[in-house]
Amino acid sequence: MDGTLLFQSLVLGVLLGGLYAILAAGLTLYFGVMRVVMIAHAAFVILAAYLAWYFHRETGLDPLFSMVFTVPLFFGIGVLIQRVLITRLRPATLTMMSVLLTFAVALLIEGLLGLAWSGTQRRVQLSYSGSNFEFFGARIAVVKLIAFGLAAVSLALLFLLLKKTRFGLALRATIQHREAAQLVGIRTDRVAGVGFGIGLATAAIGGTALSLDATIYPSLHWSWIGPLMAIIVVGGLGSIPGTAIAALVLGIGQSLLQVELGTTWAQTLFYIALFVTLMLRPQGFFGGRLAQRF
Amino acid sequence: MSDESQKSPADAERARPLLVLDDVYAGYGRAAMVLRGLTVEVPPRTVVCLVGPNGAGKSTVLKVASGLLRPREGRVLVDGADVTGQGPQQMLRSGLAHVLQGHSVFREMTVEENVLLGAYTIGDRARIAERVAFVRELFPVVGERWKQLAGLLSGGQQKQVEFARSLMIDPKVVLLDEPSMGLDPRTTATVFQQITRMRDAGTAVLLVEQNARRALETADLGCVLDLGRVHISGPAAELLADRRLSELYLGGRPKAAS
Repeated sequence: MDGTLLFQSLVLGVLLGGLYAILAAGLTLYFGVMRVVMIAHAAFVILAAYLAWYFHRETGLDPLFSMVFTVPLFFGIGVLIQRVLITRLRPATLTMMSVLLTFAVALLIEGLLGLAWSGTQRRVQLSYSGSNFEFFGARIAVVKLIAFGLAAVSLALLFLLLKKTRFGLALRATIQHREAAQLVGIRTDRVAGVGFGIGLATAAIGGTALSLDATIYPSLHWSWIGPLMAIIVVGGLGSIPGTAIAALVLGIGQSLLQVELGTTWAQTLFYIALFVTLMLRPQGFFGGRLAQRF
Repeated sequence: MSDESQKSPADAERARPLLVLDDVYAGYGRAAMVLRGLTVEVPPRTVVCLVGPNGAGKSTVLKVASGLLRPREGRVLVDGADVTGQGPQQMLRSGLAHVLQGHSVFREMTVEENVLLGAYTIGDRARIAERVAFVRELFPVVGERWKQLAGLLSGGQQKQVEFARSLMIDPKVVLLDEPSMGLDPRTTATVFQQITRMRDAGTAVLLVEQNARRALETADLGCVLDLGRVHISGPAAELLADRRLSELYLGGRPKAAS
């Protein structure tokens, strides 16, 4: 591998990692706050990508503007899913049952997407879709940079929300010890609902970013959920910064491997990383020192 | 036992109790009732200790008092006001703070954040600062570890952080569930000293303990719980002196004395 190619892969890896980070952030939040394994997260990402594509087709405006509608919509759906569906699960079996429940939601979304827009592959065509620019000899697609910027900004906002606001404090307390959080006066059910809403709002942002640079079809979410789950385990379940770091590391790794092994084999990196993490450090590599163990 | 002279049982009865559980029935789901007609009173500036075998319902008493569990029947009174059936937020507002069994610090937060979360429902900054100064003085170790992650402290230190957190609202009554659980004897002694200091600082304490003999030595009043109701209650010293009771609950069973 020569120097330019290596650098090109590295830059693409960082950009890809940024996208992974925003796509995985919601997953780790659901698990952190509610011990919910949200299989339908990637399906919501694809749904948002479809809505961005549809918005662009109908209005001719940039698909990024679709977020004005999808982000609040997804937030609301998230709160509803938590308050109407998740709270009905028995606490003792919540994690297991949430897999089944959200699996069903994923199938439902996939089916509805096929019903509404058929199984045809779709792609957003923009004036800047094919644009590139040079960055120290590497060629970078503008759409990838936009997606990365979107991910970086929303992750920074999410991080500030969790670290600097009163709601963030309540959410972190709920993640770390739910009963103790109730006993200092935090309404943990309300916090969990809003937490779930925020998680799903990140799916709207991630899906829009994805729509700029990907061909989408209804069953696409199955190829995303595996790598995303691997990322949040490697990063330490429940930790947003851990997830971001793991996403970058794995994104760069995948991008580098892709040059030598091709896209299919490069994907196995996620599963190898997952196995290694579960064997050596089940609490994850980048979470807090005291992160959740499996 | 110096306070026995100041606090005769008659005195304790004359003062209006801060917390009353009156004929309470409570349980979990469809399972049989855990509490069956339980009545307990906590007078001001008093440590009341509930002892009893495993499964007697000791922790359930505290959960009913702090609103984590709604009673099926009976009443909960705080300082004379009926607060039956209210949730943890309202119970906190009426002046009940609950320290859970085992470790319940927010592990990935600093001691400071933990203590400040105790004041989550308080808006007045001056009052928060006042309470912080108060708990740091009462529990020096909390001040020493102020900027450290709570999860990395020793068990005894974590317990004191939890005590400090619970005192932030200046509660009328603190509910302590097995504070000595998992602690070595020396740390246990410290924790019991701290309980006495909490009482002397003006907070009544309702204490639940497996470590019955040790707890009764600290407490002013004691209640022996069995099968969901109070069997015997009275001044802690008298319960300790009762030989029949000792055999049954305070050493006759290996678990109760451990």
